[in-house]
Amino acid sequence: MAKLIFLILTLIPILCTSFSPDKPSDRRILVLVDDFAVKSSHSLYFKSLQSRGFDLDFKLADDPKIALQRYGQYLYDGLVLFSPTIERFGGSIDAAAILDFVDSGHDLIVAADNNASDLIREIATECGVDFDEDYTAMVVDHAGYAVSSTEGDHTLIASDDFIKSDVILGSKKIEAPVLFQGIGHSLNPSNRLVLKVLSASPTAFSANPKSKLTSPPSLLGSSISLVSVIQARNNARILISGSLSMFSNRFFNSGVQKAGSPTKHDKSGNEQFLTELSKWVLHERGHLKAVNVKHHKVGETDEPSIYRINDDLEYSVEIYEWSGTTWEPYVADDVQVQFYMMSPYVLKNLANDKKGHYFTSFKVPDVYGVFQFKVEYNRLGYTSLSLAKQIPVRPFRHNEYERFIPAAYPYYGAAFSMMAGFFVFSAVHLYNK
Amino acid sequence: MAKTSSTTKDAQDLFHAIWSAYSATPTNLKIIDLYVVFAVFTALLQVVYMALVGTFPFNSFLSGVLSCVGTAVLAVCLRIQVNKENKEFKDLAPERAFADFVLCNLVLHLVIMNFLG
Repeated sequence: MAKLIFLILTLIPILCTSFSPDKPSDRRILVLVDDFAVKSSHSLYFKSLQSRGFDLDFKLADDPKIALQRYGQYLYDGLVLFSPTIERFGGSIDAAAILDFVDSGHDLIVAADNNASDLIREIATECGVDFDEDYTAMVVDHAGYAVSSTEGDHTLIASDDFIKSDVILGSKKIEAPVLFQGIGHSLNPSNRLVLKVLSASPTAFSANPKSKLTSPPSLLGSSISLVSVIQARNNARILISGSLSMFSNRFFNSGVQKAGSPTKHDKSGNEQFLTELSKWVLHERGHLKAVNVKHHKVGETDEPSIYRINDDLEYSVEIYEWSGTTWEPYVADDVQVQFYMMSPYVLKNLANDKKGHYFTSFKVPDVYGVFQFKVEYNRLGYTSLSLAKQIPVRPFRHNEYERFIPAAYPYYGAAFSMMAGFFVFSAVHLYNK
Repeated sequence: MAKTSSTTKDAQDLFHAIWSAYSATPTNLKIIDLYVVFAVFTALLQVVYMALVGTFPFNSFLSGVLSCVGTAVLAVCLRIQVNKENKEFKDLAPERAFADFVLCNLVLHLVIMNFLG
């Protein structure tokens, strides 16, 4: 018994750190599969997650005991849906529960397939991604297919049309093309948060590879997205792929040669592409935090409760990026602060000392009212920063105006001469009787 | 040419007529008039100065000019009330009119000093 208490006591600090809001990376991930065979056929991908400290919980998607939350607390920080054919989840999970999971700031990885169910399609549609409505369609590319020993139907395509973003795909360039076999999707044009990470080549189209093409395919060319990501306004991240097999060990390890290209790569780009992408989706990269927002008058250190018009002030904020283990200083030269009342009166770039400390100084405009210091930082791949701090600005006090201005001496003289005149006149008026 | 000289003569006649009529005014009213002219002249001088150097201490300019204008207005009020020919104020003692004038001037100059900057 004493041993058990000791064990619990030693576990408490470890458990506490897992709830720390200061560590944005997900730790506990629920993986829903159609069949436990996926666990071994896609083991390389899962291993890369586990080696980075993620705690994977494999469940069958129709397991009646699965649940995302208990007593209002989410049991997981991330959800991986490797169950493209599931029509109905077991337990209490449905599409609305998964969207609530995302709405509360958790991450989601969805892989569909050429027999993707309506449920998976519905989840994708809610995220701003529309899979081809033709259930038999796959992405076919007769010019950009991956060369293989058998001629095949050109549904196994080698794509290298990546999004140009170091923060999403890592700074190391992905040399080998990525193997893809599955269904294509288009992005909902009204959704501005969804990004095409891997798009099909201009010669690709989405149709049933087994039947003759009678009508023009609905999805064509590079408007087809193969892999997309969404960063929601609450900074939850979603990855949607039209292919489950691209995560498999077979695709990770197979060599790739794109049709028409002389170079044959020994290893496809899948492993690097999907590992780097999972780092982004699970908040190991591109997650910013802003702390220590400070402002004060030049030459002072205390934050005033009110500024006067034309005061000189200094503003500073610290911005850090989560590297998966620690908070690293974030270095950029495009962070701006606004001094805002209905519209920005001052808009200034913040200088930084390469240690995450951003600062600037400016003069309060000659307008009084209730202002805000605002930092709105939205960059591709980074979580959005939105800081607002309210501060009132007052006009000069009655005794703060400039006195004895030389240019005003004639006016002073006039006013005093009127007073003197009044005395003289009064005397003359009274004695002139 | 003849017409011009006759116009000049008319003007001179007119001026003389006005001057002789004004000469009949009691001395105490003449003193008030002189005081009003002094105030208006000072006001005009300040307006010219403002046109030359700009409006910068605008509150000082306003108080300077308004003190002159206010003084002139109060003096004119006093003149109306102490004028013997004005029947409207025949029941009002000139001492009472002068007391009003002093009080109003005190208030005026208090405000002006406050606003002068």
